[in-house]
Amino acid sequence: MNYTKQIQDIAARLFAEGKIDVFVGYRVNGFDDNQVPALITGPQEVSQLVFTEKSVFNLVNYLKSDHTRRKRVGLVVKGCDSRSLNLMLTENQVKRENLYVIGICCEGVTDDAGQKMQNCTECMVPDAVVSDELLGTPTATGMKPYERNVDIKALAEKPLTERAAYFEEVFENCIRCNACRHSCPLCYCAKCCIDQETATLYNGANTTSGAFHALMTWSLHLAGRCVDCRNCEKACPSHLPLHLLHKQNESVIYENFQEHLAGVIPEDRGAFYKYSLKDPDDFIM
Amino acid sequence: MSVETFVTDKAGLQKFYEAIMAGHETYAPVEKFGKYDFKRVVRLSECDPESPISRTQSIKPLFFPRSAKVMKYVATSAGTEVSEVDEDPLAVKRVILGAKHCDARALQVLDKVYNWDYIDTDYQKRRENTVIISTRCDKADTHCFCTSLDYDLENLDAMDVLVVNGLDGKIYIKSKTAKGAELLNTDVTRHASRVTEEVSEPVLKKQFEAFAGSFRLKMDYKEVNAKLSKIFDTPEFEDVSGSCVSCNTCAFVCPTCHCFKISDEKVKDTGVRYKSYDSCNNGYFTLMAGGHNPRPVKYRRWRQRAMHKFVYYKERFGENLCVGCGKCTISCPVNISIFEVVNQVAQ
Repeated sequence: MNYTKQIQDIAARLFAEGKIDVFVGYRVNGFDDNQVPALITGPQEVSQLVFTEKSVFNLVNYLKSDHTRRKRVGLVVKGCDSRSLNLMLTENQVKRENLYVIGICCEGVTDDAGQKMQNCTECMVPDAVVSDELLGTPTATGMKPYERNVDIKALAEKPLTERAAYFEEVFENCIRCNACRHSCPLCYCAKCCIDQETATLYNGANTTSGAFHALMTWSLHLAGRCVDCRNCEKACPSHLPLHLLHKQNESVIYENFQEHLAGVIPEDRGAFYKYSLKDPDDFIM
Repeated sequence: MSVETFVTDKAGLQKFYEAIMAGHETYAPVEKFGKYDFKRVVRLSECDPESPISRTQSIKPLFFPRSAKVMKYVATSAGTEVSEVDEDPLAVKRVILGAKHCDARALQVLDKVYNWDYIDTDYQKRRENTVIISTRCDKADTHCFCTSLDYDLENLDAMDVLVVNGLDGKIYIKSKTAKGAELLNTDVTRHASRVTEEVSEPVLKKQFEAFAGSFRLKMDYKEVNAKLSKIFDTPEFEDVSGSCVSCNTCAFVCPTCHCFKISDEKVKDTGVRYKSYDSCNNGYFTLMAGGHNPRPVKYRRWRQRAMHKFVYYKERFGENLCVGCGKCTISCPVNISIFEVVNQVAQ
């Protein structure tokens, strides 16, 4: 998967036509083969742009940055990224007319060790669902059937005490840097409820209970919205398996709310934003 | 102070560590989810003193914890009663195994700020009661640049005991401070034999040369200091901060960052006040009562961090606030390299 040439050409064309003020893509880090997101403001920098299977980070995150606010933005999105972009549009966080979106028919990206990432092997929506221009060949076979995440399945088979002990360890190892939240494209609140100085609902300290509150609240705010791009896991300095929280929510919502998958259908409001007579009510006493 | 030097082999080093664990409260790198963090250990099998530098958190949390209780309080009808917190678990006599040189050096840098206008007695107590055993790296990691900074890595005295894997296949254990010598003079070194400095020094020197030769990243810190101090108002900072997502990971893993916030955990009328890490990359970091924020945009916060590391701290305390460990670069979700950025800005 290498769209470097095409993306450079498109970016150069967009700058020449005066359609964008800033282009958000990837460039090579000068030190290893990892890539750094690049915010390019002119045609002279276009040659820095690359796109390979190392283009991991979800760039939709940059739509909430100071550097793109009130500007016309060119943006590269993979399948999962485009789903988060769809949600940003539905939730009125960005204006579609300010964006020029280059969609990628993604073949999967790799982690630091060069292995295909787990979310890519399980990916149901590899092709960008929102784009002005699509690069690559769309999958011909249509959407894969939904399957629960392998780690969720493995955990579900363990006894409750063992699961509780496992998650206790997760929360103990959280250092409360909030990198997961900041790197998430869909955490766009100007002030997170966890950071309130007055009316403190949450303990800001690095205690197991503080981490539990913060991570559980965060994952519930993303329930039915998480698109499994794994920005949070990439950001976590303690390498915590944060996808377990999101994938569990995702499977519950998919199985109970008319096979809802976040951000796949444009204008589709999240599972918790719409009411349907088919919604389950057997949990109500 | 007399310098004690011992020589042993791999098995002897294991026995040395085991003897320390048997007699002292010991902290060492423990692996969880693929990342090593310094935790209390009782057996050598639980930990790995030779943990890879790229996957090991710093030893800073053992001196400046990620969260520490400051006080307790109870609100009564007569007023608020404040009481002391329980005894500090980090202030007891203890030994740290497997600390990296950069982490140990970071404590020397932090000592300056903790002994400045306000003396942090908790930090002092933890420092005094700790013996740090540090193994010199054999090879530089991808993002290491400690040899490029303003300290003498070879003769570093930030650790109490230095462990070196000599190129001759033997392991050298050398005391660097009186505390270290005192530890080595007990029976923990019964599986090692004493050597004179004439024998050990050439081996240590040779190992250091091989280690120092393995660095890929080199910079002239004086040039960076001088240039950064002149360019506060350049648009460069706006450009380089573009890729940053303000996630704060860099500050949380940094062995020298020392900003903190205060938060309360309240249950009805009783509460505990905590002092926890904070980061200058947070949007609300400089938010004042009344709503004014002198650093409202990302690039200004970002500039503050770079300038504090390489200019402000240097001006005030004479040291760089960066020890070149590369932890921020390794942890960065978008792979921003502090080395690349300061060099780019300084050009």
